[in-house]
Amino acid sequence: MRILVIEDDGKVASFIQTGLEQEGYAVDVLHHGNTAGEQARVVDYDAVVLDLMLPGRSGFQVLRDIRSRKPSLPVIMLTAKNSLDERVAGLDAGADDYMAKPFALAELSARLRALLRRGTPRESVLRVADLEMDTIRRTVRRAGTTIDLKPKEYSLLEFLMRNSDRPLTRSLIIEHVWDIHFDSISNVVEVHINSLRNKIDRGFPIQLIHTVRGVGYMLTDSAP
Amino acid sequence: MTLTLRARLAVIATVVSGLLIAGLSIVSYNVLARWLDEDVTARLTELTDGLHGYLRFTGGAPTVEYNANDTDQASFVHEATRYYQIYDSETGDLLVQSPDMAPLGLSLTKGEVALLLASTLPADITTPYGRLRVINSPLASPGGQAYLLQVGVSLRSLDASLGRYRDLLLLLTPLSLVLAGAASWWLSRFALEPLTRVAVAARGIDVSTLERRLPTRGVSDELEAVTRAFNDTLGRLEQSIGEMRQFSTALAHELRTPLAALRGEIELALRATRDGGLQRSLGSQIEDIDRLTRLIDHVLTLARAESGQIPLTFTAVDLGELAASLVDQLEPVAHARSIDMQCERTASVVARGDAGWLERLLLNLLDNAMKFTPEGGRVVVRVCRTADRARVDVADTGIGMAPDVVAHVFERFYQADPSRSAGSDGAGLGLSLVKWIVDRHHGSIVVDSRPDHGSTFTVTLPAFTDQS
Repeated sequence: MRILVIEDDGKVASFIQTGLEQEGYAVDVLHHGNTAGEQARVVDYDAVVLDLMLPGRSGFQVLRDIRSRKPSLPVIMLTAKNSLDERVAGLDAGADDYMAKPFALAELSARLRALLRRGTPRESVLRVADLEMDTIRRTVRRAGTTIDLKPKEYSLLEFLMRNSDRPLTRSLIIEHVWDIHFDSISNVVEVHINSLRNKIDRGFPIQLIHTVRGVGYMLTDSAP
Repeated sequence: MTLTLRARLAVIATVVSGLLIAGLSIVSYNVLARWLDEDVTARLTELTDGLHGYLRFTGGAPTVEYNANDTDQASFVHEATRYYQIYDSETGDLLVQSPDMAPLGLSLTKGEVALLLASTLPADITTPYGRLRVINSPLASPGGQAYLLQVGVSLRSLDASLGRYRDLLLLLTPLSLVLAGAASWWLSRFALEPLTRVAVAARGIDVSTLERRLPTRGVSDELEAVTRAFNDTLGRLEQSIGEMRQFSTALAHELRTPLAALRGEIELALRATRDGGLQRSLGSQIEDIDRLTRLIDHVLTLARAESGQIPLTFTAVDLGELAASLVDQLEPVAHARSIDMQCERTASVVARGDAGWLERLLLNLLDNAMKFTPEGGRVVVRVCRTADRARVDVADTGIGMAPDVVAHVFERFYQADPSRSAGSDGAGLGLSLVKWIVDRHHGSIVVDSRPDHGSTFTVTLPAFTDQS
């Protein structure tokens, strides 16, 4: 998987490159957008990470350059702004996803994964160790015992299971599980993670739900 | 008490016309009185002088003689002798007195006769039958006998005329004052109407529509000068707001980019280490950066909001549904802290507003309520409709606030007790945003709070109607 990162700030570009390379991606970095369209045409990238504020050509113009050559290439936009209307503007301009700086590397890679996985069929039965979720019957069992979950707990667990072994940030979880923009106001994620832990992990020797410091949460059977 | 400009103009115009009318009335009354008075005195002098010619001294008292067939003579003498009396200058004895004079009680004593011989000026005497003006003149018979002649005219009709004129003025002056007041009120409205139109146009301009200008009419009058000055001010304001907007955008970028680099590098370091102590330290640094990021977010959102950079989309928003959904999703959070959270709502309460921002409004209020409610407490959201307003109460049984705290609660960065919220993300901006949202919806928010009893925030918003 090859990713093109277009970001003018050297330090930001550097940690994105390092972080993504650690996860097994091949990463090319451009510090301005002038040749981005051409680069995207010549090299067969799987996704683009594009900063909105670039010297010379703006991110929106660069996005048009890329789209004119590779209409279906996934693009994640980075911006130093964060508000609902600007988010909508970014998505309206044709970006596939949108992230505000500063962001968690884990979140960037989660969003990238989601974009790269796009179009592949979703599994209907999810498994992590002895935890099993049937998304058609909406049932959850651990070690053969059926577990009763409230709707929000179910959605949260499904999201964690679909992204197992990957750390997920609170904002990513909120965006996918809740329809309200809690941002950081209430510890709604913590509360639901706790009740989920009580139902999934209590009494089992292997804990599946882990807290990842500085990032968020991760569902995995291999302790980090 | 301050009056409107229109009222002040009308009052001034009324007072000025009132003073003018009163002044003219007083002057005209006095001039008329004086003219009439002079006429009477002139006539009296004429009568006295004329009467001298008709007096005959044939021994004893002087007598009046005239040709009764001559109408002129007859009417003159009749008028002159209506009020007259003659005294002997030496003895002071009354010699002749006209029948009309007799009942007036004006007979003179000897001393008075002597005194009056020296004074030939007209004098007014008040009698039970009205005022009488008299002239005294000395007489001498051919035989050397000296007399005092006193001739009078009644001032009754003059006084009556003047009295009626005065009554007329007393009636007309207030009447014309009322009419002047009404006319001034109407005229001042007429004069100020263009100014009112300018005010209405100006009111339509706020920070989000600064590019608008008041219409000018291409004439050079005072009003046009005001309009132009206002438009110039708008221009300068638009420019500085534009600069401010650019500044906040640039600031966001300048602050976030290094934070992003910092956060990314720490995250990479966190991935690389297996040292538990270092992991904790790095994790805590990331949490600090996230908190700083949220603070920047809040400050910039508020700055953008207050400089009119956030457009709102007004639609029909079912407040009951919104509140119920929020309570539903926050209830687990409240439950985890042993707080009982309820939503009470009547049938359907639909407000006119921006769904996203109203959600933010309720969320901030609920978050605030939970933050200051201890375990075992209660947070209740009540949604109801009153006349043409939609109303939401967010009531808690929390620690409450003293009145001096309530007064500041919507101010930016205000925290009643900094030590309490040091660990929370509040930073004292949540309620400032609440206030801004309410203001942008033309609503109102009031706080009812008592220390140790809890607080109730009451928001009223315009209800959605088919016309809105």
